[in-house]
Amino acid sequence: MAKNRENEEVRTFAEEADSLWLITFACSIWAIHFVVCYGAAAFVCAKWSSNPAVITNMRVGLGIISVLALCAVSYIGWRSWVQWDFLDDYDYEHDLAKEEHRHEFLGHASFLLSVISFIGVIYVSLPILFLETCQ
Amino acid sequence: MKNVALISLSCLLLSSCSGVQSVLDTAGKDASVLAHLFWVLLVGAIVLWLLMNGLFFYVTRIEPRELSRRAAEALVIGGGIVFPFILLAGLIAYALSIMPDQRAAGDGVVVRVTGEQWWWRVEYDLGDGSAPIVSANEIRLPVDHRTEIKLGANKVIHSFWVPALAGKMDMFPGRETRMAVEPEKTGIFRGQCAEFCGESHALMAFQTVVLEQDEFEQWLERERQDAVQPTEAVPRQGEQLFVSEGCGACHTIRGTEAQGNLGPDLTHVGSRKSLGAGILPPTAEAFSNWTRHTGAIKPGVKMPSFAHLSDRQIEALGQYLEALK
Repeated sequence: MAKNRENEEVRTFAEEADSLWLITFACSIWAIHFVVCYGAAAFVCAKWSSNPAVITNMRVGLGIISVLALCAVSYIGWRSWVQWDFLDDYDYEHDLAKEEHRHEFLGHASFLLSVISFIGVIYVSLPILFLETCQ
Repeated sequence: MKNVALISLSCLLLSSCSGVQSVLDTAGKDASVLAHLFWVLLVGAIVLWLLMNGLFFYVTRIEPRELSRRAAEALVIGGGIVFPFILLAGLIAYALSIMPDQRAAGDGVVVRVTGEQWWWRVEYDLGDGSAPIVSANEIRLPVDHRTEIKLGANKVIHSFWVPALAGKMDMFPGRETRMAVEPEKTGIFRGQCAEFCGESHALMAFQTVVLEQDEFEQWLERERQDAVQPTEAVPRQGEQLFVSEGCGACHTIRGTEAQGNLGPDLTHVGSRKSLGAGILPPTAEAFSNWTRHTGAIKPGVKMPSFAHLSDRQIEALGQYLEALK
């Protein structure tokens, strides 16, 4: 009997366990994108600061990585939006210990984090557009 | 009484908007761009402040009723996310767009400046293979030319800043940083170490003298020459004291046996606009005071005071140094 209840709880929370991971993805992409951009710029400028071709290649490469990062954050944002299911009931509050509330709360939080991460990736990427040299 | 204090304080604050060390009273291309950036940010901040406080006033005093859900959402999303995102993106894009010009390389003479405790070692590299022209605590630049400045430091960090000409650049031991300045006006502009570097950090300043191109070239030619030997009796006695007291162990005076490298080069110290890294006037009296009360004038300085010399000897030393034009 106790075992059945335990299995039921595992099933109930399985999706929430996945959602916890979903919350971390957008911010992680932002963080990784930040480290890759600054690491690549530091490395290339330390080694090849006088070689414009290498710097151009780096900017193009980081530009592609930035677009991919934005796509990935957008996908996570979309998944979160669907999980929040806002247009269903226009519900901002998820304060009850119910499966639906947990589910939508995690979607809601993940969606907002995706918005911040999207903006963060854009701001981190802006120097790629403007700075053409290592000076 | 309160109003008088307020007006006095305002005048005091406004007085810092002009003068030889003001970021708002610019004399260089880079500083002008930075001052413009400051005004853009200031106007933006004022508009934002008025908008936010106006809105706050409106919803609490003029129209204190509950907003509809849709209006509240529009306010939070529009005012809290979309508006700041666009505004900040615009400001970042503007700031980034001016950076390449700020970092543009110089042409002509390269000035190498090394931060010491608490003075500036200055070397002019003409780029023609000749030995650099060594000076200290003063930088001379040609007007309307972009001059490359290479920066280094000895033992501790410093920061090179002439607010009227350009933004500041940090100086690190063991690493070379760079910047370039492009003065647009002739004159004298004050520079200051802008990174805490020890007990006399605040007393580590310098004068930047901007000259017309031909005047600058003539000055460089004079600066390259050895020191002129004094002809009058008192300065000659000062010269002998300089040698007998061992000053040459730390200072160089080209054309004499003084070839030390620990302290500032004094070959043409009398022609500089200040003494002791921008803190004293270049008069014989100030030279004498400096020699006698070195540690009191600049706490922590490595140069010992020569208070054991008689008044006459100190005066002779001062006259000798002041005569090194």
